[in-house]
Parts: sequence; structure tokens; C-alpha cells
Amino acid sequence: MAVAHSEEAHEAPAGPVPTVVRPWADPYLDPETYDPEGDLMVMNLGPQHPSTHGVFRVKLWLDGEVCVKAVPYPGYLHRGVEKLCEKLTYVQIPPIVDKNDYVSPYINELAVNMAFEQLNAVEVPRRSQYLRTLGAEMQRVGSHLLWLGTFAMDMGGALGGGASAFMHTFRERETILDCFELWTGARFHYNTLTVGGSRHDVPAGFAEMVRRTYETIRARTIEYDELIYDNAIFRSRTEGVGRVDAKLAMELGVSGPILRASGIDWDLRRDRPYAAYGELKINVPVRSAGDSLARYEVRMAEMRESIRLVLDLIDGIPEGPICALKPVKLPGAFKGKAGQAYVAVDGPRGELGTWVIADGTERAYRLKIRPPSYHAMALIPYLAPGSTLSDIIVTLGSLDPILGEVDR
Amino acid sequence: MSTPDDLASLLREGFDLEPADPLTVDRSRVVELARSLKGIGFEYFSYCAAAHYPATDADPDRTVVEYRLRRLPRDEVAFRVWVPTGESTPSLCGVFAGADWQEREQYDLVGTVFADHPDLRRIMLPEDWEGHPLRRDYAIDTRHHPWR
Amino acid sequence: MTEYPWLWGGGFALVLITVLMGVAAWSIWFERKFAGRMQNRPGPTQVGPAGLLQPLADLLKLIQKEDITPTNADSFLFNIAPPLGLLTVLGGMAVYPWAPGDWVPANLNIGILFTLSIGSLVTIPVWMAGWASNNKYALLGAMRAAAQAVSFEVPLLLTCLVPIILSGSFRMGDIVEAQADGHWFALWPPGPGAVAFVLFLLCSLAEANRIPFDIPEAESELVAGITTEYMGMKFGLFYLAEYMHTLIASFMGASMFLGGWDGPGPDGLHWLVLKGLTLYAGIFWIRWTFLRYRADQFMAICWRIFVPVSLLTVTVAAFWRVYA
Repeated sequence: MAVAHSEEAHEAPAGPVPTVVRPWADPYLDPETYDPEGDLMVMNLGPQHPSTHGVFRVKLWLDGEVCVKAVPYPGYLHRGVEKLCEKLTYVQIPPIVDKNDYVSPYINELAVNMAFEQLNAVEVPRRSQYLRTLGAEMQRVGSHLLWLGTFAMDMGGALGGGASAFMHTFRERETILDCFELWTGARFHYNTLTVGGSRHDVPAGFAEMVRRTYETIRARTIEYDELIYDNAIFRSRTEGVGRVDAKLAMELGVSGPILRASGIDWDLRRDRPYAAYGELKINVPVRSAGDSLARYEVRMAEMRESIRLVLDLIDGIPEGPICALKPVKLPGAFKGKAGQAYVAVDGPRGELGTWVIADGTERAYRLKIRPPSYHAMALIPYLAPGSTLSDIIVTLGSLDPILGEVDR
Repeated sequence: MSTPDDLASLLREGFDLEPADPLTVDRSRVVELARSLKGIGFEYFSYCAAAHYPATDADPDRTVVEYRLRRLPRDEVAFRVWVPTGESTPSLCGVFAGADWQEREQYDLVGTVFADHPDLRRIMLPEDWEGHPLRRDYAIDTRHHPWR
Repeated sequence: MTEYPWLWGGGFALVLITVLMGVAAWSIWFERKFAGRMQNRPGPTQVGPAGLLQPLADLLKLIQKEDITPTNADSFLFNIAPPLGLLTVLGGMAVYPWAPGDWVPANLNIGILFTLSIGSLVTIPVWMAGWASNNKYALLGAMRAAAQAVSFEVPLLLTCLVPIILSGSFRMGDIVEAQADGHWFALWPPGPGAVAFVLFLLCSLAEANRIPFDIPEAESELVAGITTEYMGMKFGLFYLAEYMHTLIASFMGASMFLGGWDGPGPDGLHWLVLKGLTLYAGIFWIRWTFLRYRADQFMAICWRIFVPVSLLTVTVAAFWRVYA
């Protein structure tokens, strides 16, 4: 682990531990103490705002255009998914959690199904493990493409250069969805994973289609860099903007590309392998700057790495069954064992976990989704103070939040 | 996952606990445990989750709160506290900044009260929502103005 | 025609405004097609052949929209700002020479000064709109507009000094005459003219609120900036003013630096239109390629780069004029 603070981290505390000293902005600041005159402008950014990536609301206290305090109000997209998961059976849950992180549904399904499999000690066949890995990596590329387009749009506007980048990334993302359509029959909310494996085997001609698609995207990532990364305006808008402190990020549970851009070399795919990742060599890109530009670099490097993994995997999928159990069609046909499990996968946004308590019936007693975006959005009260409104938008975009999984 | 030695010795010597997943701690010692774990490198706050258990013959109506910390890249530890309904458990906000939103969410949905939380408001549901939806005794089929 | 200059000027202006309005409206069709080609999509196709009647459809839609003045807005300022914005933009065209001879609505001897001063007045209706809307996004946009106007007006004026010095006249017609037979200021004398031309275009982008300097509008940050509360034709007027401003800036650049109506073969309006529309398309290209600067970054660029460089070009041009 390449963190600068690790040398003092391994000393056991002697005596009472002092109160934690926090070098970052105070999210509980009272605006009255900053400005007794009451001259601050209170601005509600969202829930209807073009750049909040959904329906996110932040209440900002602005001094001129510089933010003094930010209080986020999530929950506008709260759909009671966890309550639904208590009331639905294990078989019915995957299509519900598909809609959590609605940019990478495959990985949502993977997270819940892996939790159910651990709960019931189901061994997943090797072919299915490889298929899951393939699907997860394909989905990661699609998710990062969507992020890239929206991030450019946050800076260039819906009527400008940002929109051009957005259109181009969406063109590629469409081809990825075409691949998934051929595979699972659905473009987006697949419901393809089940306890014990997958429902759909890859069809004929799939390998050729995936290879063609991802070779094209690999060539096009160079174009994106030329369009966005090589642009001096992009550099000046992102360099040093929204700097995330590694210690703060860990305290908040921020994971994935944001944490890796802050210098923490941690990837669940490599460090706690699941599916077929244990048999693969994964290069984890790490940057130490922690700003929006570093997050861009990490995500682009991840995208290239995922494309490489997809192209490697597509030819090496072992033969065999794709599901350990007979896929069930009746909602109540699968009964789980009693117990508790927590399983985390590394989604495009970080640690996507499922905490499940089962009581031996066909329904989970309690199921909690641990969404990476929720933790990333907790950064906003720390990052916003001291930056201008324009920088807050860029920071928000670089965190890549999906409000469907923030609010659940 | 095997338990690392320094974690096991900390738990045995400092808290008289056997390593388990999850550990069960008393409410009075949970902040101290979190501090000590942070001191030996468990700096990554993964989540805080709560579940409600209605009253049985043996136990009163109560919720369980589980925290999970990680020492990157590989080690992790989970500990849980039992909170009888009507009482509160100390908040970990003083140790982990991330406990703020996590505990607010559990308060909102499950109804566990966290003492000394700096900002214990509802986070998902509207301020004037009645009840905590993830409790087992929450009546989901009762019509209620204006949302449910 | 010189017996009744006001009649000539008025009639010319009427025709000119009508034509330019049409050009601005159909340039929206052109821009949408152009942007579509840049983004792998066809652009408008449905209304008329190749979507050519799209501006008419847009106009019909805007006219049909309900006209709302927000309850807490200052209704007088709110309603007067859009037509005033368009008026200030159109005023700049009064002194503009379109072809050799008397083809100018009002042949002022301080033509350039008039155009520039009328053009910079546009900040006032923009500020009025932002303030009167009683909307925080609009107010922020208006404050940004006022702040950046102070920054880009200085280099804009300085770059306009270069053709004035080189030609020795404030009259637009004289400036174009001075560039006759291919002695375009952007090419000759080498150096100051070309640099001033680029700076002039960039500052004109800022004055017309175009990307990368559309900071007062900044729809990803300020929703729609000053136009947040506007709808229907009031919004349409702002929209049209933006396009007209860009169009006029293109023609200004074409005649001050690229020789106006001068060109190989017969001189005349066709050369001016060709040059102006080419610059206009270039501005679209910039718009659909680049991202947006932050307000403070743009002002820093203005003061740290544009102002010194434009001062330098003025100095070089002055030396050239005196010694060469």
C-alpha cells in the first residue's frame, strides 16, 4: 500500500487516544460565525439542475462565487430498494438492484448474487466465473464511457465541445449495449445472473462482435484523449480542482478510482479476488495528485485496462456448465440458509457491497447495498468550501456519482 | 480470511474478545474499540448497517448495528452492537468522518439512535416522514397521507 | 442618394436588418447541421428539405410559448432587456460598409468607435436581465458578464487600434480601402495585424458569449445564466442577439483585417460575405470543439496575455506606420 502515512499507522496507541485532528474543511461550520452580517447568498444547486447527474440537491452558502459551506440533501431518488429486497424473494432481487447503479447493472447483479452464493456456500462453475468477469469488465468500459461524456459536458456545456465528446462516447457505449443485447436479450437491465451462475451463455458470433467493438473503442480512446486531455482548457479546469485527501477518503469509505487517484493502491479485484480475477493479471492505475485530473487519468487507464482484459478473456473462456444450480423460474423456488454475509466487488465506482442477513426462508431478512457513490457524495461538504461554483460542478462530475445508487 | 496477529492480540488483550466475523461488542466500548482499530491501521470505514429485530420471549425489541473497517489492502474487521429500542448507541463520528452519513441513513431507515451524532437528521426520507421503513413492524400496506 | 442621407440610410438599414435577421436565423440551421456532422448525427431533417425550414419551426414554437414574467421580477427591466439587447447589437451595423462606394447606412467618420461603443453597451441589457429576473443563477451570470466585460473590452479596443493606426482613419470605409489590392492587415505588415486579428476574434467570442468564453451563460453551472427566467420570444430575442453579435463580429473581423470586399477578380459584396461567413463557421467550429473557461481564468488570460500582447501589436503597428 503506497500511502505516505503508513509509517505511523502501525503503532498501537498507548494510553487514551487523542481526538482526531482533521486538517480538512469543517462540514459543520455555522455560516453565522463566518459571516455575522448575513451577507452570504444561499443557493440551492439542484434538484433540478443540468449538472447534478440526476436529482441531487446541495445547499450552498456562497460568498461572491466562492462556497463557504455545502450541505447535500440526497434522497430525491429514494425508492426503498432495501425494503423491496426484504419483501421480494432471492430470485426477484437481481432485477431490482439492476436499477441501483443504472450505468453498470451487470455489476450490481454480480454483487448481490455473490452475497447469496456465499451465504449458501454455492460453488460457481468456472465457465460462469469467466463469463461474469467478462461481463463486469465490458460493463466497466461502458460505465466509464458514460462518465467521460458527462464529465466533459459538465465543463463544456450541453451546447458546446462537451456535447461533442458526449455524443462520441455515447456512440461507443451503444455498441457495448448491442453486445449485451446479443448476449442477454436486454440492452440494460439484464437479470442474467442467478444464484450459482448465469442464465445466458454467450451466443454464436459473440466473440467476434465483442472483439470488433472493443478494438474500435481501444482505438477511439486515443481520440478522446486528443479531444479532451490534450486540451489546455480541460487541464486548467481540472488540475488541482477538487483535491481529495487520502486520509479523508479512507475515513469516508470512498473507494474505486477516486481513492486510487489519491494515491491509495487498492483494488478489490486484485487484493480480494472474486469471480475469475484471481487467475488474471490486473494492472491497477494509481495517481497521487488526488485532483479531478488525476481521477480522469485513473479512469482512462482503467478503461484501457478493462478493454485489454475483455480482449484477453473473450478467447479464453473455459468450457463447462454455466450454472451450478438449476436456474429457477418460480420466485419462491430458492430458499436460502440462515446466516449473514458481506461481499464486495470492485465496480466502476468502487467497493459495491451487499450485506445480507438471512433467516432460512425464501426472502432475505435484511439486505443492505453498500453503494460507492453514496460514500463519494459524502465528500462534497469537504470539497466544496473554498472553491467556486464552477469548480464544484467539475468536482461533482469527477466523482462520477450515480444518484440511483446514492439514494436507492 | 485469517485474522492478522496484531488485530487478534488487540482484541484479546484490550477488549477480551475472540476474533470473529462479526465481533459483538458492548455499547460502552464501541468508540474505544474503533479508536484502537484505527490506531493499528484500520482506517478505511467501509459501512455501518443496522437491522431491526422485534421482541421475542428471550430478547426485547432491538436493533443490531454493524460496522466494518478495513486495513488496506487486505485485512478487514466487522463489529456489531445491540441497541434496545428506546436507547441509543454512541456515534463513531468522532473517529470516522464517514460515520456521519452512514449513521444518518441507518437512523432514517431503521430508527437506531446514535448519541453524540453532530447532525442526526433524516437523509433519505422527508423530514416529516413518520416511522422508520426498514423496521419489521413498519406497516407497508397501511394507506397514509400523502406518500404511502 | 446623398441628397437624402437619412432616407438612404433608413431604407438601407431596414433592408439590411431584414436580411441579416434572416441570415442569423438560417445560420442556426447551418450551425445545427454543422454540429450534427461533428457529432455523427444528421442534425435537423424533418422540416422542409434537409431541415431547411427548421428556423421557421423554431420561431413558431417560440412565439406560441406562454409569456410569463416571474412574480417577484422587476417587470419593466425584465421585459425591456431582450429588445434592448438586440437593439444594441443591431446598432453596431449602422456604420458598416458593405461594398465599394456609398453602400453604408451611416458613413460616420468615427465608425469604428461607434461600433465598439454600441457593441459594449450589450453588457447593460444583459445585466438588466440578470438583475431583474430575481433569480440567483441569473444574478450570478449577470455579475460574471459585468466582470468579464471589464476584462475583454480593453484588449478588444487595443486590437481595433491596429487597423486604425495602419490606415490612419476611424472610418470603416477608409480602413477597407487601405487594404485594397491584397494588402490585408492580417497579412501585411507581417506580425501585428495577424496577432491582433486572432485576439480580436477571441475577444469577440467573449463579447458575443460564445464558448469557450460563454461564462455568463454557462448552462452546466448556472442552468442558463441570465436567460434562466426567460421564455418564448423574450428568450428568442436574446438568442437572436447572440447570433447577430457573432455574425457582426465576423464581418467586422473580415473588413478590418481581411480586406473586406477586396479580393481576386471583381471587388464587391460577394467577397465580404464569403470571408464573413467563413469566419462565422470558424466560430461554430470553436464552439463545438472546446470546453469552457472558468470566469477567473478567463479574466486572468485577458489581463495577463491579451492586454500585453495587444499593447505590443499596437506599438509595432505604430512604429511601422511612422518608419516604414
